[in-house]
Amino acid sequence: MTATSLTDPVEQARAVAEYCYEQGWTDGLPVVPATKAGINACLAAAGRAPDEIIGSVAHLRRSVTVAQAAANAIMAGCRPEYFPVVLAAWQALHLERSVRGAWQSTSGPAPLIVVNGPVRSRLGINCAGGVFGPGFRANATIPRAIGLIVRNGYGVRPQELEQATQGVPGRWSLCLGENEEMSPWEPFSAVGGVAPGVDAVSAVLIRCCEYVDNRATDSAEAVLTDLADTLARLGAFVGGGHSSGGLVLGPEHAQLLGSAGYSRADVQQWLFTHAVRDRADMLAAGKGDGAAGDPAQAGTPFSMMPSAADIPILVAGAANAAISMVFRPFGWAPWSGRAVPVAWPPADPEV
Amino acid sequence: MFDNLIDPTIGAADGGGPGRVELASRPETLAGLRLGLLANPKRNAEQFLDQVARLLAEQHGVKPVLARMKRDITDTAPAQILDDLRNQCDVVVTGVGDCGSCSASAVADGLLLEQAGIPAAVICSDAFRVSADAMAGLRGAPGYRYVTTPHPVANLSPDGVRDRAAAALPAVVGLLTRPGAAAPS
Repeated sequence: MTATSLTDPVEQARAVAEYCYEQGWTDGLPVVPATKAGINACLAAAGRAPDEIIGSVAHLRRSVTVAQAAANAIMAGCRPEYFPVVLAAWQALHLERSVRGAWQSTSGPAPLIVVNGPVRSRLGINCAGGVFGPGFRANATIPRAIGLIVRNGYGVRPQELEQATQGVPGRWSLCLGENEEMSPWEPFSAVGGVAPGVDAVSAVLIRCCEYVDNRATDSAEAVLTDLADTLARLGAFVGGGHSSGGLVLGPEHAQLLGSAGYSRADVQQWLFTHAVRDRADMLAAGKGDGAAGDPAQAGTPFSMMPSAADIPILVAGAANAAISMVFRPFGWAPWSGRAVPVAWPPADPEV
Repeated sequence: MFDNLIDPTIGAADGGGPGRVELASRPETLAGLRLGLLANPKRNAEQFLDQVARLLAEQHGVKPVLARMKRDITDTAPAQILDDLRNQCDVVVTGVGDCGSCSASAVADGLLLEQAGIPAAVICSDAFRVSADAMAGLRGAPGYRYVTTPHPVANLSPDGVRDRAAAALPAVVGLLTRPGAAAPS
């Protein structure tokens, strides 16, 4: 790069991007340079002090500040007004009991970030077609910010302290708005304890997604049977206690279930009851540890899900095909079941 | 080069880092010394350490006096367990680091014991050298040496565990007795 070419702002932008790569600050994609002005804009949008510590990993001796999170959010491509959502997502992830070991785990889990409330339309958070992305700035950059905070703030980088065997598709890119408008049930955030209509973020660490495509039936029970079959898949069972599973129902499946009279809790209970496997199947696959191999329970089916309440269910996507997604919460601890309200700074009294 | 660019790795001041960890001095022989075991909850870890302890007792005259298991694979062992090991043992064997978190954590446990003057032999599987080494650097002991056993450990039969422990024994003894054995060469 010559001195002359660096006077061209476009070449400068390219040089900055290269510099960030050289520092090891990126996840493999180019980043937007973080500046003091950018950080200040994020701090103002969230009404937060720069030096407040928002996360620590004692065993790695690293702590993350609000200003540092803001720098990484800018680098991820976030607009300043996304930053309160990034902070809420970060907080929601830290409610997950499995989060402490997650970043270094061989499982390589991905945060699934779910946004509810009016903030979805204000920030352009997609909750309809192509909701798993890509193509929408807020959906793509908010989870990427989380990934860069883990990388640059906690110092957890792949093939170093991060030991993911394969990782999972979608790590640092899963942020969905719930399609509240097409859901037959209360918002997912209400399950997590935040009133409907309030901006809120929920987060689950997951190990990948598997689609359930079922467009040929008008029977709610047929769709539930199909979903339960995928939930009960042996490969997802790690051993020890139970397997794990949750659903991002497409609006068509959700509405079919809702119009057949199923509440969200009814769906959870039905799936808990039916997502079972014969213990012999589990032994045949070498997965007879713990409760699954209990001789006293021989002949009885084994519940793959830990409980009905531990099957998180939300609704997202377009109502253009009867497709849903099963996802797998990471770790043995159940998901937190809690949503975090997005903290906006106090409104200007002049407005 | 770009003065206005913020370094995203700089966060809260952590008191200037860990400094350089001073490793425990090593005894010339293990005969008569009190041995502590610190296992993590990974499959076969406890069994592996038990076999190492048996062989150390049979062949080197150590006295196994304490065996503890920590419940968390990520964090260092709870203070009470570390205190018990420091107070009741002369040397400690810990592991088996056979996952992303627990390999790093086993090294961190070993270094906490070293700092208290207790020679430690950390056992990790060879698939996790990178995270074990990264933790050693993070904790002020770059190049800290530990025993490796082939990955995987979790699927070994009891006989397999016994064989592995026997294979690891010379390295365990070496790390616990050779002067400077755990320090980088």
